[in-house]
Amino acid sequence: MTTFVIRRLLWTIPVLLLVILFTFVMMRQIKGNPFRKTDRAVPAAVQANLDRKFHLDEPWYVQYADYVKGIFSLDLGPSLVLRNQSVNDIVKSHFPVSLELGAYAFLFAIVAGVPLGMLAALRPNKLTDYLAMLVANVGFAVPSFLVATLLIYYFAVKWNVGLPTSGWRSWDSKILPSIALGFFPMAYFARLVRGTMLETLQQDYVRTAKAKGLRRRRVVGLHVLRNSLIPVVTAAGPLLGAVITGSFIVETIFAIPGIGRYYVSSVSSRDYSVTMGLTILYAVIVIVGNLVVDVLYGFLDPRTREART
Amino acid sequence: MVVNPQQEELRKRVLTRSGRVDAGAPIRQTSLWRDAWYRYRANRAAVIAGGLFLLLVVYVVFGPILSPYDPYAVDFSQAYQPISWSHPLGTDQYGRDLFTRAALGGRISIGIGFAATIAIMGIGIVYGSISGFVGGRLDNGMMRFLDALYGLPYLPFAIIVTQLFQTVNFYVMVIALTIASWFTAARVVRGQIISLKENDYVRAARAVGARWYRILGRHLLPNTLGVLIVFVFLELPGVILGEAFLSFIGLGINPPKASWGSLAQDGRDVYLAHPTMILIPSVAIAWLILCAFFIADGLRDALDPRTRET
Amino acid sequence: MRLRTAIAPGLLVAAAALVAAGCGGGTGGSNGSGSGGALAANQTLTMAWGAEPPSLDPGLATDTTSSNVLLNIMDPLVKLDPKTLKPVPSLAQSWDVNGATVTFHLRHDGRWTNGDPVTANDFVYSWLRTLSPELGADYAYQFYAITGAQAYNSCDPKKADCNALKNKVGISAPDMYTLKVELTSPQPWFVQQVAHTSFLAVNRNAVERWGEKWTEPGHIVTNGPFKLAVWRHDAEIDLVKWNGWRDAKDVTLKRVNGRIITDGTTAVQSFAAGEIDVNTTGIPPADLPRLKTEDTYQNYPALGTYFYGLNVKNIPLEERKAMALAIDRKSIIDNIAQADQVPATSFSAQGIPGFGEIKNDYLQPTADMGKATALLAKTPNAKKHVNLFVNDAPGHKEIAIAVQAAWKKLGIDVTIKQMEFAQFLEFLGPPPNKAVDAYRLGWIGDYVDDINFLETWTCHSGNNNSNYCNPKYDALIEKARSTKDNAERFKVYAQAEDILTGPNGDFPVIPIYWYTYVTQEAPSVKDSFNINLLNQFDLSAVKVVDK
Repeated sequence: MTTFVIRRLLWTIPVLLLVILFTFVMMRQIKGNPFRKTDRAVPAAVQANLDRKFHLDEPWYVQYADYVKGIFSLDLGPSLVLRNQSVNDIVKSHFPVSLELGAYAFLFAIVAGVPLGMLAALRPNKLTDYLAMLVANVGFAVPSFLVATLLIYYFAVKWNVGLPTSGWRSWDSKILPSIALGFFPMAYFARLVRGTMLETLQQDYVRTAKAKGLRRRRVVGLHVLRNSLIPVVTAAGPLLGAVITGSFIVETIFAIPGIGRYYVSSVSSRDYSVTMGLTILYAVIVIVGNLVVDVLYGFLDPRTREART
Repeated sequence: MVVNPQQEELRKRVLTRSGRVDAGAPIRQTSLWRDAWYRYRANRAAVIAGGLFLLLVVYVVFGPILSPYDPYAVDFSQAYQPISWSHPLGTDQYGRDLFTRAALGGRISIGIGFAATIAIMGIGIVYGSISGFVGGRLDNGMMRFLDALYGLPYLPFAIIVTQLFQTVNFYVMVIALTIASWFTAARVVRGQIISLKENDYVRAARAVGARWYRILGRHLLPNTLGVLIVFVFLELPGVILGEAFLSFIGLGINPPKASWGSLAQDGRDVYLAHPTMILIPSVAIAWLILCAFFIADGLRDALDPRTRET
Repeated sequence: MRLRTAIAPGLLVAAAALVAAGCGGGTGGSNGSGSGGALAANQTLTMAWGAEPPSLDPGLATDTTSSNVLLNIMDPLVKLDPKTLKPVPSLAQSWDVNGATVTFHLRHDGRWTNGDPVTANDFVYSWLRTLSPELGADYAYQFYAITGAQAYNSCDPKKADCNALKNKVGISAPDMYTLKVELTSPQPWFVQQVAHTSFLAVNRNAVERWGEKWTEPGHIVTNGPFKLAVWRHDAEIDLVKWNGWRDAKDVTLKRVNGRIITDGTTAVQSFAAGEIDVNTTGIPPADLPRLKTEDTYQNYPALGTYFYGLNVKNIPLEERKAMALAIDRKSIIDNIAQADQVPATSFSAQGIPGFGEIKNDYLQPTADMGKATALLAKTPNAKKHVNLFVNDAPGHKEIAIAVQAAWKKLGIDVTIKQMEFAQFLEFLGPPPNKAVDAYRLGWIGDYVDDINFLETWTCHSGNNNSNYCNPKYDALIEKARSTKDNAERFKVYAQAEDILTGPNGDFPVIPIYWYTYVTQEAPSVKDSFNINLLNQFDLSAVKVVDK
């Protein structure tokens, strides 16, 4: 197991280098002046000063080398647009928010989705199954911007339940965005759990357990659930990564100071260092997420342990 | 009575065709595809989904052609008309008929969806076949490279690619979404090729001296086709949602060129007064995604009997 | 107002140079002195800021939010009178103008929050800092009126010793409360320019101690009526009244809770739910018709012109005139822009001093198709196929469609090309890409004098995207620069404007409308909260009443 983990970790280095190179090249290709924010032109002297300050007047390979050096000393560089903040500052202030949002959304997805799927699987093709799957399918197909808008409209504006329409400060402002973001994963889990449980319930060892006379609940709880959750765990890793990287819509609609929203605006405003820094951050999240999932998978499914090299 | 499952199968087959059992009746030959079709047909949900999907496609293809309205003409006197016979979905703030615009938007959204998915498949097939077929060190290297690319986050990546071009139009979106998500297709194809490679008929073909392109083209790829078709319908929703999200935040197709995502963005600005404007494109997207998934489920059951529950 | 780019709000409320917050409303602003209503016990204002300020360093602040925060937490030398927009004393109690030398006499009771007195040396230090090539200040060009400033700012520290140039800049402090400024020529509008954020002073101790981080709430040292209490990046900026300010007794408001909301719809929802009292983020254009009828809707004139530029190398003169005459400005405003903008009949914006003499009446709010078609008929080599470039923020394409329809009536075929903002700007140059025949842009005034508008069309102006170069025009602008007497100068401006948009004008530009600023304000602050022509609001004048 440890060799496996170490090997994977070693692989992250070339992956990261590739990501850095790729984003670097792309950002330089995208035309646009990061220092020009309005219709008004930037005077030549000012442009020269700014290029000098941010080392944009140096040849690209020098810039690239500096940047890579910076990465490995964990310095992501200054922001070209937010002049008193470095990318590290931005990450420090925004990333925990996105992480928290993603975590709550995920929590909602599991707490709501897994039982829903189980319920459906235990009474297949009955009314509960259809209803549960209806909810899941709707959640699956409806785009998150509609979910978010509807949630705000009904809970914050119309019915006046006391929930704020936007922001991320008090505990009650965190409820609606987490649900909005967690709706899709919830549906995904519900369907997945239903599918895997149905499959597991058909397996021979379950029939054996039932034949042995074990009570249904014990059967379900002990054997079925554990084995059904394996695919859920496999899906969870990339899903969590997708949730965190795809959160920008919810963040924008709810005015949440997260990384996703900032990423989008940094691309439009050509804030090269922020875009690159955040892309690398995302890549790290995705890689770590995949690694964690693979390790967990090894623990949960003994059959694969031997296969691990 | 002990039931012989195989005989039961044969009986069922004969029954469905002629409606009665005839001792000594000839058993018609059937192919994999026909079989699959019959199994698909038996899945009610998949059939309904397929029908609804086709309905949607017909709507987006023929809607704008048959509609008497110009989807770009601005006429403020007709703004925000309610749903009526002359305007089945009402009008927007510029007086443009929403039924037509939604269809037009659908053309772009579905068009991008299919185009990107097919492109993804194309790249995936090439990459995956080479990797899977050649195997060995090349395979290892290619898979490692793929792992590296997996580290690139999907949507941020697509965003960067769209910014490389001066304007974002249909082709740019297709390119961006394809580049960001072809990896899984390559993996799937490679997996299939590898598992099929070891089959006897492949070995036989090799023994006879068949060239690689014959083996690939005649034996391996056609057998992966089933998996690939299912994959198309699984990938489609992801691509369409990706396009919708990008357009929604303004980094995709821009108004007045409509795609469902940009229609939704327009709609959100006025949803407090005119909720239909955001509901219509969202429902359209949801409809497409649901249909695609049920179809995918149905296809998977139909084409790959091993996954069926006995 | 959409989230697409922060540029979209920037168009309406662009990164204008700001002059000190006028004490109250702008000219033409709808609020007179507040009608009754007792003062509320809780003098707290909750509002929405439209964006995260890129910086709260006066040398680096370029956008509206930074400027508005800075103008309320710092003490400028002069402010602008809300009605006349003339400079009035603030930290400078008086000033003398002797030809090209301006001397400011500072009050003795200015204080920093750390106890230091505010002296002329603070200004010398700050202005030189803003001009230094190392800082890379965007608005350094505002200082170019001062002798030696441009040379110092253009110096490359890697190649020359810039300190020598620094010592030659015409800013000095003969004594603790006197600030002497030497200009390159007598420029009558300079004192008014000093009301802009870039001319604010910074506290040397704070800057040297904390470096890049000196603007964080725990470190920042200010000298104005409010202090920066909270700055959660991208989320919240709160201000709190500073009782140590020289005129603290005149300030009623105790606290400002500001939420950063960049998306227009989110801000509108928040206002509708009663969470904020003032929405300065704006209203999405599509939602304006619904909200305009409400009491909370508020509309202020802005000093800026939305215009279409024409590439004079591609389109002949008579055709340009015809194109200008063919546009129905009123219809565009009523149906598309919908924020009560004013049809622009000249490039110089309504609200500048001397506007009455400067404007001409050749262009009208509505179209004059007769004249236009006649003009076009006389043009043998008219370009029949025109490329119109716009950027992809909301509203521009719709206006372009209306203009396309208007020019179609003249027989001109227009192709609308929409581009993403940053790339759009690159495309325009100057010099503009050959493919550009027409384009849209906006010009927001930095300060309240027409030179600011007119100088954009000189031959070497970095904001001249029309390939337009007329030596006579440049000569007029030079003449204006050295004309001290206002009345005389306005006459020169009128001549210049005539060359742009008069009956015999060159029309490198077609003005469309003059901007307005749109807000939603709760009844409790509606009367006292005002935005002036330069998009500034003075929080020290705001009073929360019981409504």
